[in-house]
Amino acid sequence: MIQPVALKEPPATVEESGALDYISASRLKMFSECRLKFYFRYVAGIVKPPVPALFVGTAVHAVLQQWNLRRWRGEPADVDTLRGFFADYWQSEAAQRGIDWQGEEDKFRDQAWRVLCHYLEQTPIPLDERPEAVEVKVERDFIAAGLPPLVGVIDLVRSGGRIVDFKTAARAPDAQMAEHLNEIQLCCYAVLYREATGHEEGGMEIHHLVKTKQPKLAVTTLAPMSNDQARRLMKMIVSYVRGVQGEDFVPCPGQHCAWCDYRTECRNWH
Amino acid sequence: MAVKLVANYAKRLGLPGYSSHQFTVSVETELVDMGDVQGEAARLYNLLQDAVDREIQQVGFVPEGEYGAANGKGAPSATATGNGGDDHWVCSDKQKELIVKLVNEHQLDRNEVDQLAHERFGVGVKQLNKLQASGFISELLENSNTGKRNGAPPRKAKVFYRGGGR
Repeated sequence: MIQPVALKEPPATVEESGALDYISASRLKMFSECRLKFYFRYVAGIVKPPVPALFVGTAVHAVLQQWNLRRWRGEPADVDTLRGFFADYWQSEAAQRGIDWQGEEDKFRDQAWRVLCHYLEQTPIPLDERPEAVEVKVERDFIAAGLPPLVGVIDLVRSGGRIVDFKTAARAPDAQMAEHLNEIQLCCYAVLYREATGHEEGGMEIHHLVKTKQPKLAVTTLAPMSNDQARRLMKMIVSYVRGVQGEDFVPCPGQHCAWCDYRTECRNWH
Repeated sequence: MAVKLVANYAKRLGLPGYSSHQFTVSVETELVDMGDVQGEAARLYNLLQDAVDREIQQVGFVPEGEYGAANGKGAPSATATGNGGDDHWVCSDKQKELIVKLVNEHQLDRNEVDQLAHERFGVGVKQLNKLQASGFISELLENSNTGKRNGAPPRKAKVFYRGGGR
C-alpha cells in the first residue's frame, strides 16, 4: 500500500503553512467542498500520491497544452506528432510520481490516448484558429480589499477571448450541473482575464473529455461572467479568507467523501 | 607556405533598461610551429578573453528608464520597442522586470525578442498586455532554458499550478 507523503513537522499555524499566500480556484473549490480536507491538504501539508485517474487527466492536459501551443506557434500539431509527445510524457512522468497502477498502467494509458484521439477528431476548435493564450499564469491583486492575490492558470483562451477549460470525466456531464460545479473556477478565470486584458471575456467553455469505452466529447458553452456571478465569487473569496484565518476547519460529510483521499485522517480528527 | 591562425573572441553582456553591450576582438597570427596548433590556440584564447574582459567592464552610457520617450534623441527603433520609442509597458511591473531580466541574463537579442512578440501576438514587447506577457514569458523561459520545444514534456514550473496542487 502506498503511504501518503506528509511533512515531517506540519506547520504550526496557517500563516506558516502559506495557505493564505494566494487564492486559487482549486483552493476555493476544495474549501467549499470540505474545510477539513482543505486543512489536511494546504495547512497540514499532507500530499497524497496521484491516483491513476488523476494522472490520466494530467497527461491529457499536457497533450492538449502541446496541441494548443503548436497551433499557436504555427508548428505541426498532427496526431502522429502528438502521439510521440504523449508517449514521452507518459514514460517520463508516470515513473516519477509513485502511482499505484495495480497492474493496469497499459489500460489507463490506452484510455488516455483514446480519449485524446477522439477529442482531436471532434474538437469544435478549427485547426486554423489561432489561440489568444495557452496555459497562461495570471494574477489579480486584491490588496485594496485586504485579501491575498488571486492566481490561476488558464488552459486556453480562444480567439475572441473565449476561455476554455479542459476536463476529463468518467461520464458525460449534465450541462447545468457542469456550469454549477465549475462556476467558481470559470469565474476566477473571468476575473483574471479581465484584469490581464482590460476586456470582458467573449464567453467560457468547458470541454469534457469523457473516458467511456466509446470516448465522448461534451462541450458546455457559457456566457461571460455576470455581475451576479462576480458578486457571488467575491462573497465566496471573503468567506474563504475569513474561514482560513479563523481556522474554521470542520468536516463537511457528503457524497464527495466516497472518493476523498483523506478519509483516514478525517475519521481520526476530533 | 605560411599557415595562419585566425582567432576571435566575443562577449555580450546584459545591462539595465533592456539593453546590452558587446565587444569582439579578432587576431590573425602566423604559425611558426605546425605541431603546436593546440598550444597556440589556447594562448590566443586566454589573451583575447583577458582583453575583452578588461574592456567590457566599461559600460559607458546606459539609458535611464524614460530615455528616448521625451525628445526622441537616440530612441530605440520602432522595431526594437514595438511602440515607436514610448517607454510605457502595458504589462505589470513584475512582468516587465522578469522579461528584462530574462533578456539580460540570457543575452537575448532585443530585435529577435521583439520579433517573437510580433509573431506571437502582433505587437511589440512593450505593448503586450498581462495575458500576452504571461504567455511570452513562458516562451522566453522555454527558449532560453531548454533550447528545444518539440516533443519535450512541459516544464516543472507549470506543474506547480496544475491538478490539485494549485
